[in-house]
Amino acid sequence: MRAAVLTLTAILAIAFSLPAVERQPSIHLPWKEAGLTEREAAAHLLNRFAYGPRPGEVEAVVKMGLDRWLEHQLAADLPDRELERRLDRLPALDMSASEIARTYPPPGLLLMEARRAGVIREGDMKELENVEEEGDKKERRREVLRWAEQQGYRSQRELAGQLMTQKLWRAVESENQLAEVMTDFWFNHFNVSMTDNQSRGHLLSYERDAIRPNSLGEVRDLLGATARHPAMLLYLDNAQSTASEGAPTTFERRIPRRREMEEPAGRVRPTGLNENYARELLELHTLGVDGGYSQQDVIEVARAFTGWTIMPPGPRREMIERRMTGARRAGFQQEGEFLFRADAHDSGAKTVLGRKLPAGRGIEDGEAVLDLLAIHPATAKHLATKLAVRFVSDEPSPALVDRLAAVYLKSGGQVKPVLQAIAESPEFWGSVGDKIKSPFELAASAVRGLGGDVKEPRETLRWIADMGQKLYAYQAPTGYPDRAEAWVNTGSLVNRMNFGLQLAAGRVRGVDFDLKSETASRDEALRTYAERLLPGRDLKPALALLQPMIDDPGLPKKVEGATPVEQVVGVILGSPEFQRR
Amino acid sequence: MFTRRLFLKAGGVALFTLGAGPQFLTRAALAAQPPGRRKVLVTIFQRGAMDGLMAVTPLSGDLRALRPRLVMGAKELLDLGAEFGLHPAFGPLLPLWKEKRLGIVHAVGSPDSTRSHFDAQDYMETGTPGRKGTPSGWLNRAVGLLGHEGTPFQAVSMTAALPRSLYGDEPALAVTDLADFKAPAAGQSFEALYKQTSQKVLHDTADDTFQAMQMLTPEKVARYRPANGAEYPATPLGQALRQIALLVKSDVGLEVAFAESGGWDTHVQQGTVNGSFARQARDLAGSIHAFWTDLGTGYQDDVLLTTMTEFGRTVRENGSGGTDHGHGSCLFVLGNQVEGGRVHGDFPGLASGMLYEGRDLPVTTDFRAVFCELAGKHLGIKDDGRLFPGWAGKRLPLLRA
Repeated sequence: MRAAVLTLTAILAIAFSLPAVERQPSIHLPWKEAGLTEREAAAHLLNRFAYGPRPGEVEAVVKMGLDRWLEHQLAADLPDRELERRLDRLPALDMSASEIARTYPPPGLLLMEARRAGVIREGDMKELENVEEEGDKKERRREVLRWAEQQGYRSQRELAGQLMTQKLWRAVESENQLAEVMTDFWFNHFNVSMTDNQSRGHLLSYERDAIRPNSLGEVRDLLGATARHPAMLLYLDNAQSTASEGAPTTFERRIPRRREMEEPAGRVRPTGLNENYARELLELHTLGVDGGYSQQDVIEVARAFTGWTIMPPGPRREMIERRMTGARRAGFQQEGEFLFRADAHDSGAKTVLGRKLPAGRGIEDGEAVLDLLAIHPATAKHLATKLAVRFVSDEPSPALVDRLAAVYLKSGGQVKPVLQAIAESPEFWGSVGDKIKSPFELAASAVRGLGGDVKEPRETLRWIADMGQKLYAYQAPTGYPDRAEAWVNTGSLVNRMNFGLQLAAGRVRGVDFDLKSETASRDEALRTYAERLLPGRDLKPALALLQPMIDDPGLPKKVEGATPVEQVVGVILGSPEFQRR
Repeated sequence: MFTRRLFLKAGGVALFTLGAGPQFLTRAALAAQPPGRRKVLVTIFQRGAMDGLMAVTPLSGDLRALRPRLVMGAKELLDLGAEFGLHPAFGPLLPLWKEKRLGIVHAVGSPDSTRSHFDAQDYMETGTPGRKGTPSGWLNRAVGLLGHEGTPFQAVSMTAALPRSLYGDEPALAVTDLADFKAPAAGQSFEALYKQTSQKVLHDTADDTFQAMQMLTPEKVARYRPANGAEYPATPLGQALRQIALLVKSDVGLEVAFAESGGWDTHVQQGTVNGSFARQARDLAGSIHAFWTDLGTGYQDDVLLTTMTEFGRTVRENGSGGTDHGHGSCLFVLGNQVEGGRVHGDFPGLASGMLYEGRDLPVTTDFRAVFCELAGKHLGIKDDGRLFPGWAGKRLPLLRA
């Protein structure tokens, strides 16, 4: 099914991209003004708007025209058939969010199912949840796993593996590189962490359904999609945020007002207003920490989002689905895993950032808040700053940020015009090598630079984690800080150097590439690979330092099992130049 | 940031060229404090929520009625004097208690009511209960507030990934085996390359890194033998503390260390003298005892150790011979300055009217009151409001001034 759809997409993409060749590009990239050669400029573009150049790609971009390359990247319209074929091997990517939830249940739910099916007794349940178990418990655990497999259940670990694998494959192989860069950017901006076991099973859908389709679109859509997604609703607790005791609700109770939560000891605990999502929505997703909102605004926003929750599992879900037709008239809404509970929504009047939200409404309250935030000047400035930090430098000039914020507001909160404005800014072209690659960027760019192919991603992913970026696992909602100091410390730097050496020596299993057949002598290897891996950079200093090592007559044929060529390539990959983009 | 970094650099170099001549003298003059020995705060996070009532059991009250299968009598418990008994598996800690180096804080925890491990650990590690967005952990802020020259080993976590406690602006190292911290095969080429780079962070960090590798060679790590006959358990925690002792004694500038102890989520068959709780307790106590023995009189004055856990467990036992997620728990503090041999804090008793939400030991001491005291008196951090933003409580007196 997907293959057919893609073929069509690919044809359309090619058909529509043809006229672009004749059209005058609407983008002006001032690289000449910055004193760069066209090759240097193409390399810079590939280092920032893509995961680094592949062999020959700098030349290809020059040939195509830098502006046209960027147009395609902004449109994300290039066919990606090879990649799509490969992604077909990851079954979860084709499942709906509900199917994923059913197929990859959290361990607790799996045990409950097993109990219902009579595979285990009640007394065994909690024992099996414990991590370190020996003897017959292990055996019983295996029994449960066998049973689960027969039932078609798969582990959440496998789901996480697919999520990380697709990210790496896309970054290395996709033709639409900017879409991948921006998916990474927005995921990190709207971070949800795999370390939270409630959210874990929802992350694949979160990235695929809430982030990726909007990564080059409108911020309002990103806000709406993340606000409604179970991953976010669980991670920042909005799923359990309800109108406070005594507050009026959109639908006055027939269902108990306060949602009741089962506590482990059997006691029932009421929930009320939970401010976590509201606070991070303002502080992290939109206005920024100095965005001029008060604690009262946080409370008002939290009230606006009361009742935004998720569909429960099991029989309660079916009950809700059956009643939904009638419930919609009462203000309830359901879409996939998202549920708006009118009976839990605080329907009193609210004032958010000075704007009055009238009493008596339902889901419109939250939507109105997102409308307001998406095009707020503080949001423009906050997002402009973060994008400039990602694409230009750790400390972008206030002038650049102001210009980007103005572009953002003028466009009504669109992503593409801001990205284009970055590429058109002199600051961008004056920042060659100023950014430190994240561990993920480093690994992806190294494989791309070698013209390599990640067949089995496990070891590459482990290296990325060892270099300090366990994918999807940053615990705080802030996401990974994108600053040199945050990425580089003594521990991670050793791992960066070792990663280069190990990769080049073919010791990162699962990554295929071919070094030896292409070069005859060490000298040639040095020149070839310095040029290939660091295109558009001044190679003189690196060559001056590496040459003596190459010329050393005492250099053994193999150092720790690596050939001289592999050593040369390893040192280039581990060098400071290659850590920069 | 820039100025500070430059300043830190000077100190860091001095550390590694100790005694190397005039260069050292000029650099030492720049440093605020001579490098080398520093006060060290060692923290152990007991993940999973330790049952504080089983660890340090109140002798009066109705515990036998509330948890008949879990309660131990005076015969099994170790006598802490007064009103409490220590779980026998914590036996290795008893001598330290008697020497008044080990103190206990009971009914300690977070004011936030969450019973989610994830949220409660997050809140304890950021030091901001109820707020998830705090970017930094409290131990990272502590490092920043020290204002000392940085070294690669100033803040070290013996874990695979950096814990939330050490998220933040200050560099921190996460490592499970110090032997991994070794120069790449092409080390010399890299050293030369990084010396030449104009990128300041790469240049400075590489400088630190290569010097650190000289300080802590894999040979030195492999050669390390604990002193005074200390025997560490062959467990992840035992090995973590062994390596922390190595760092302390190597004078590499360690000031904050972090380790983890797992397996405290005892929902099922928690046991009494033996069982899953006892197994974890034996590991924790044995590891701490070995660590303290290993440090010996030469280093014990420099080191303060504290445990922490995200919350306590239900006062009543559950249907599976275990306990479920509760609220208040207890923690251990070890050091020569500790007002030891005492149970600190206000233990409210277990009368049914006293229980939190009718089921749990209440929290009468905010964990920040303890951490402020430790960071304040041991590390000399004065600004509690910056260590724990939004908190204006009082320190719990635990250490002699």
